[in-house]
Amino acid sequence: MEQKQWLSSQEFNAILGVCQLVPGPNIVNLAVCVGQRFGGGIRGAFAAVGGLMIAPMTVVILLALLYDHYGQFEQVQGMLRGISAVGVGLIAATGFKMLKEELSYYPMLIVIALSIVMATVFHLALGWVVTLTLPLALLFAWNKAK
Amino acid sequence: MMIGLLGLFVKLSLFSLIAFGGVNALLPTLYDISVNQEKWIDADTFIHYFAIAQAAPGPNLLTVTLIGWNAFGLTGALLATLAVCWPSCILIFYLQRVLTNLRHIRWKKTIEYSAGALAVGLVLASAWQIAERINGNAMAYALTIFSIVFVLVSRKHPLYLIGLGALLGILGFV
Repeated sequence: MEQKQWLSSQEFNAILGVCQLVPGPNIVNLAVCVGQRFGGGIRGAFAAVGGLMIAPMTVVILLALLYDHYGQFEQVQGMLRGISAVGVGLIAATGFKMLKEELSYYPMLIVIALSIVMATVFHLALGWVVTLTLPLALLFAWNKAK
Repeated sequence: MMIGLLGLFVKLSLFSLIAFGGVNALLPTLYDISVNQEKWIDADTFIHYFAIAQAAPGPNLLTVTLIGWNAFGLTGALLATLAVCWPSCILIFYLQRVLTNLRHIRWKKTIEYSAGALAVGLVLASAWQIAERINGNAMAYALTIFSIVFVLVSRKHPLYLIGLGALLGILGFV
C-alpha cells in the first residue's frame, strides 16, 4: 500500500473503519474493499482475497501434514498447548485494546458487560447474544453520536 | 460426504454473518459445532489446530481452514475457508460505497459505535470461553494472563510470546 501509493493513509483508515463494522473476517473484508477500489470491481476483489489467502492456506495445510506425522509426540502436544494458551491471551489482548476506545462513553460498557455475561454465564448462542444486545447498542450509540 | 460438506458450508456461512469482531468472536461457536455437535474433530485436535493457526503467518481464520481440512480434506479446507469469508465479502462489497458516502453523520456514527461495542463484547467473551475450553491447568492460565499484559504494555512482537508458550509446553509445564 505504501509502496504503490494506491491510496493515502487517511483513505485507508476510512476504509478500514468501514471494514471493521461488518461481521466476518476483518482482514478479508479489507482485501475486498481495497481490491474493489483499485483492481476494478469484482475482479480486483477476488484477486486481493486470493492473494491474501493462498500462501497462508498452503503453509497451514503443510503444517497440518506435519502434525499428522508428529502430533502424537507428547512434546509436540505440549508445545501446541503452550502456544494455544498464548493464543487465547492474544485474542483477549485484542479485546482489551478495543475496550480502551469504549471508555470515552461509559453507558456503552453496559452493553459490553451484558454481552459478555450472556455468553459466558448464561451460555447463550452467538445469534442470541447479538440479537438481544443490538437494540441497546444502537440506542446508546445514537446518544453517543450526538 | 456431500451432505457433511454442505452442512459445514451452511453453518459456517450463517455464523460468519453475525460474528462482529471477526473470527476471534466466532471461535467458541466453532468449537461447539466442530467438537460437540458435528464431532468433526476432538477437543485436543481443536486446541492443536488453534495453536497451529496462531503460530502460522496469516489471518486468524486459518483455524477454520484446518477444521475443514481434517473433516473433508482439501475440499473441506477450501470450502470452510470460503464459507466464513463470502457472506461478509458480499456485504462489504456493496456496503462500503453506501457507508463511505453516507451524509447523515449521526447515523453513520451510530452504526460505527454500535458495531464497535458488539465487537468488543463478543471478542472478550470469546477469549473467556476459549480459555475455559482449552486451558488445562493453572500454568496455562498464567501464560494467558502474562500474554495479555505483555501485549498491552510492551511493544515487542507477539512472536516472542508464541516462542515462550512453545518452550514452556515442550518442557511439560502447560
